[in-house]
Amino acid sequence: MKTQFRVAVVNREPVRDPARSLRRRRYGEASTAWSYVLPSVAIILGLGIVPMVWSLVLSLQSSDLITPAQWVGLKNYETLSHDPNFRAAVGHTLIYTALFVPLSIAGGLGLALLLNRKVRLIGLYRTLVFVPFVVSATAQGVLFSFIFDSHFGLANAVLHWFDIPAQGFFADKSQALYLLVLIALWSGVGFCVVVYLAGLQDIPAELVEAASIDGAGRGATFRFVVWPALRPMTVFLLIWETLQSLQVFDMVFVTTRGGPLESTTVVVFFVWQQAFEVFNAGYAAAGAYVLAFGLLVLSIGIRLIRRGDERKVSRR
Amino acid sequence: MTVRQPSGRMPTRRELLRNGLGLAALAGMSPLLGACGSDDDGASADGTVTITMWHGQENQGKDTLDKIVAAFNAKNPKIKVNASSGGVLADSMLQKITTALASGKYPDIAYIFGPDIANVARSPKVANLQPFITQPDVNWDDYYPAARDAVTVDGKVRGFPALIDNLCVAYNKKIFAAAGVPEPTGDWTWDEYVATAKRLTDPAKGTFGTGWPAAGDEDCVWRIYPLIWDLGGSIVDGSGKKIGFDNDSGLKALQVVHQLGADKSVYADTKPGSDQMYQVFTSGKMAMIPTGPWELPVFIEAKSDYGVVPLPTFSGKRVTIAGPDTWTVFDNGKAKVKAAVEFLKFLTSGDQDVQWATEAGSLPLRKSTANLAEWKQHVDTTVGLKPFSDALAYAKTRPTIRKYPQISEPLGQAIVKMLLGQGTPEGALSELAKNANAALATP
Repeated sequence: MKTQFRVAVVNREPVRDPARSLRRRRYGEASTAWSYVLPSVAIILGLGIVPMVWSLVLSLQSSDLITPAQWVGLKNYETLSHDPNFRAAVGHTLIYTALFVPLSIAGGLGLALLLNRKVRLIGLYRTLVFVPFVVSATAQGVLFSFIFDSHFGLANAVLHWFDIPAQGFFADKSQALYLLVLIALWSGVGFCVVVYLAGLQDIPAELVEAASIDGAGRGATFRFVVWPALRPMTVFLLIWETLQSLQVFDMVFVTTRGGPLESTTVVVFFVWQQAFEVFNAGYAAAGAYVLAFGLLVLSIGIRLIRRGDERKVSRR
Repeated sequence: MTVRQPSGRMPTRRELLRNGLGLAALAGMSPLLGACGSDDDGASADGTVTITMWHGQENQGKDTLDKIVAAFNAKNPKIKVNASSGGVLADSMLQKITTALASGKYPDIAYIFGPDIANVARSPKVANLQPFITQPDVNWDDYYPAARDAVTVDGKVRGFPALIDNLCVAYNKKIFAAAGVPEPTGDWTWDEYVATAKRLTDPAKGTFGTGWPAAGDEDCVWRIYPLIWDLGGSIVDGSGKKIGFDNDSGLKALQVVHQLGADKSVYADTKPGSDQMYQVFTSGKMAMIPTGPWELPVFIEAKSDYGVVPLPTFSGKRVTIAGPDTWTVFDNGKAKVKAAVEFLKFLTSGDQDVQWATEAGSLPLRKSTANLAEWKQHVDTTVGLKPFSDALAYAKTRPTIRKYPQISEPLGQAIVKMLLGQGTPEGALSELAKNANAALATP
């Protein structure tokens, strides 16, 4: 780094030989450019690449972070492949994702359509829909674990009002996971609404007008004008929400800790448990890498689909 | 054509940015670079030793420790104690210390829970205090046996006792009076406990007979050990390769929990931390709760009308569990370990021991402290503290073994199953024994 700056300083000197000057200038340009990107390079290397490589190494070791590690090759991955707890965690994560992603997108679209009109206090409504998104997952977890307490919670009091028998909620292993989806939706929908609202406001009014002149009803306008125009937002939300929900952790940690009876152990929670509760850091790193690999495959898959899309569009 | 400019010129915008950014980048990295090369052997040039302590306490506990640390620093100019929570509460200290050990920068003293010390002590960075405890002024045998056992791993002392507590049953006098049920005297059996809990449960009023944490964590698990010990079982058997309660003791203990669940007389708190369970008690919606002395200040503040009796038994022989915590000492050089021991001796000696026990709501660590007039007066003026203080004499503690988490985890799941009315005690025990024994059998 130091030498680069020295070169940069040398560059200040007047130069006569045009070839040398060009080389120096290029060199100088490059060093200037490097000095611009250096902070981000340092951050990406230090906080991104190094930990990734380190955890890859860790996943090939039997390590507890406390005593010297032993090299075990792919044994951690082999054990993972027939660990029923890991399989359950993957299952829970997939159920969570399969429910959360479509519901949040559909809910977000519905609310965005409702909020995309000129009525009084519309700014207030829009803000209110977005507020839950700003609340941290931890605060939400604490809040909802009180609401959904099986004995003293508000939710059961409301159900009692309607003569519905009291539910177990977080104390019922067949309900807890779905309840988590519900809580995540409460906050997650707000984000989809904002993205869709932005998209809706980008649709030129002339297009909608033209459609209505052509005799398109509300349904047809939505289907042939609005929905295609929102496609980029939908694809973005699909990717974003999927990546987010595959990595869900904080809410599980504060509300259920994977319980009751391990019915809400998600992959990242499994990783945490292995690393910090039973001291299998190597095994935990392997679990994290399986998740990372899944995310990578997913992102590449979506990229390929989008590229195919773009080709279709350009062919038109 | 380039023209040499006068030397006093203003730097161009690009140059300014370039050099400025370079400096900023260097400045940003310097702490990282600096962190790599620290090499102190413990004492600084002028002979003072600075030691760092992570105590994981808040509120009253923190205030009391701050006072004791200030007193020690004033008395010992050669030692400076830097005490802080460590950025976490004691609940998360294990995770914090694990990462600190992995990164190589760790404190000299940390507050480690009793069940965790065996795993932390695998690290070569944990100090061996065996040579220190024989010093006459340590008076090692004066600590209660449970406290001493809790800091001893494989025969080596790894820290000092930090806190000791045990389980007794607190009960709400109003609920007993309203139902016309005589208050427990302490000479009672678990069968009576279960029956009383059932009798005092009133779904219409939302009143529960008793409560049990149901998050499957250690707070859920340790409450069952007194039952197992009373029935002749042990946590690990003599060989160390098998659990010691895969027999009648484990079965009968689980049956008690199962019965509470089946009677719906137990409030099963599925939230981590068990806070709500105690809130149910303090709000007068729970008749009896097995608890430690740390809840007494909460009960007093909530103006609960409560009493405390020892745990029920099967055999009539008194038994309870002590959950001691530790001041684990880490090796950052000889001088620092020595200074840490000096401080911990001070912290756990008579005057400070009684201060810590009375102000932070725990119990004396030393037998001699329990005989101090100051402590006796505190016991006399605090409702329900006497049974806890008396129980120190017979309380047992969990073994300090590395595989303990692998026993606790499946046992926690089995207890939660019983509380939530899923499966039979027999099935839960056989599954838990299979999992725990498999973990214990591997080296």
